Amino acid sequence: MANLAAALARRGRSVLAIDVDLEGANLHTCLGVPSPRASLADFVAHREEDLAKLVVDTPLRHLRLIAATQGHLGAAQPSHVRRERLLQAIHRIPADFVFLDLGAGTHSAVVDYFLAADEGVIVLSPEPTSIENAYSFLRAAFYRRMREALESRAVRRLLAQAMDQRNERGIRTPLDLLREIQALDPAEGARFVAALQHFRPRLVVNEARTSEDIKLGFAVRSVCKKYFGIDAEYLGYVNHDEAARRSMIARRPLVDSHPTADAAVYLTRIAAKLADPRRSSVSGSRGGSA
Amino acid sequence: MKPIGEQNHYELLEIPREADAAEIERAYRMTQAAYASDSLAIYSVFGDEDALGMRERIELAYEVLSDPDRRRAYDGSLDGHLPAPAPADLAFELERQRPARNEPKPLASLPLAGFDDLEAEAGSTVYDGAGLRRARMRRGLELEQIAHVTKINPTYLRFLEEERFDDLPASVYVRGFVGAYARCCGLDLRAVVPSYMERFEAGRVARTRSRQGHPF
Repeated sequence: MANLAAALARRGRSVLAIDVDLEGANLHTCLGVPSPRASLADFVAHREEDLAKLVVDTPLRHLRLIAATQGHLGAAQPSHVRRERLLQAIHRIPADFVFLDLGAGTHSAVVDYFLAADEGVIVLSPEPTSIENAYSFLRAAFYRRMREALESRAVRRLLAQAMDQRNERGIRTPLDLLREIQALDPAEGARFVAALQHFRPRLVVNEARTSEDIKLGFAVRSVCKKYFGIDAEYLGYVNHDEAARRSMIARRPLVDSHPTADAAVYLTRIAAKLADPRRSSVSGSRGGSA
Repeated sequence: MKPIGEQNHYELLEIPREADAAEIERAYRMTQAAYASDSLAIYSVFGDEDALGMRERIELAYEVLSDPDRRRAYDGSLDGHLPAPAPADLAFELERQRPARNEPKPLASLPLAGFDDLEAEAGSTVYDGAGLRRARMRRGLELEQIAHVTKINPTYLRFLEEERFDDLPASVYVRGFVGAYARCCGLDLRAVVPSYMERFEAGRVARTRSRQGHPF
């Protein structure tokens, strides 16, 4: 995440990185800002209403940060209303790209940030735990997006039943659900399909060591299509690289400290794909526990 | 956007109707691997039975599409049976109306897998060890496979990638290794060999000099 933001900043675009992972904040460390003077927690706790005042510079040109810092133990996730305010405020801060660093898990706050972004990036590691978390997250995001799209109460009830894995109607995949909805209410079916088409998460495979790991991205994309009926785009992979660890210890983004390292080259490529002019804000979610 | 049970052979393999034999072959291998019983990608989504069902469908799709006669007959049946979509089939209707995106060749575009665009953008003509490895991984090759084809000791191939120049044999051998490696990965020998050898010679000279400077 830090690296994708840094890679775009190195291309001369103005980038704002925001750490919305209040419980596991560390983006400031990755970007070399050891003790940021302001924190998103101040906005969440109503201590500061002007989000722009929380923006701090980083050692990298064109890259600014809204950090989340410790010292606020028990900092709760912001309420739904507060999240809405935050998202509105983010749109008012001038930047070519805004990156939201999301925490792990399927908390509604994480899902909301993910869905609010123009691009949602899910990072997978080639491990069962990471894959399982990624699908749990996708499922949560999928149903939340659909709930937003649907209007009729009966259909939303059907959706709630489908979310319960032990449902009695025999709805097993989101595509089975589509059939049920179409039978119940064709107009809602059309809304469901339209929402599906706008739900296009991006995939990145991290820590790739073998060509099998690289192919995992294509396989997951196929499963997304077959199971969820959604088009996920495989943006690329980042190989396992010892240089990444060294740069982490040096508290600098790899693309800045070791721009010619393998992993930095891959990261820069992924950033270039994201920098497509039609896109503007990006949020990242980790499928893994790292 | 159809349930798996309603997908035709092309949709199942995620290839366009006009896919050629090589595309079908690649798509088959990719999907077969994706839904293999030990595949990571289906973990926690497809149960054993579902995955088995998928594999059987994929087998059938491949059997039909890889046989020109059976494929022709199947295409005919698709064209004949493909009705004007019933009004209730909204998903299908919308799928048809959706403007063609420039990526409906998902699995089929392997081995270059859609990453070659950025490769070209980077305009890199310098082939160092990492560049060789990237080319190999894009091809989906393991070092052992290259070793098997070229009969070169895999350890030396690894040294090539890691640029452990001092552990490699004399330059005339290395030149041969690089050439064979490049050929396996479908790279242009005339670009790769001089580029890599330049690094190799420079790397070795530097080492030799520093060794001379420190007699102990």
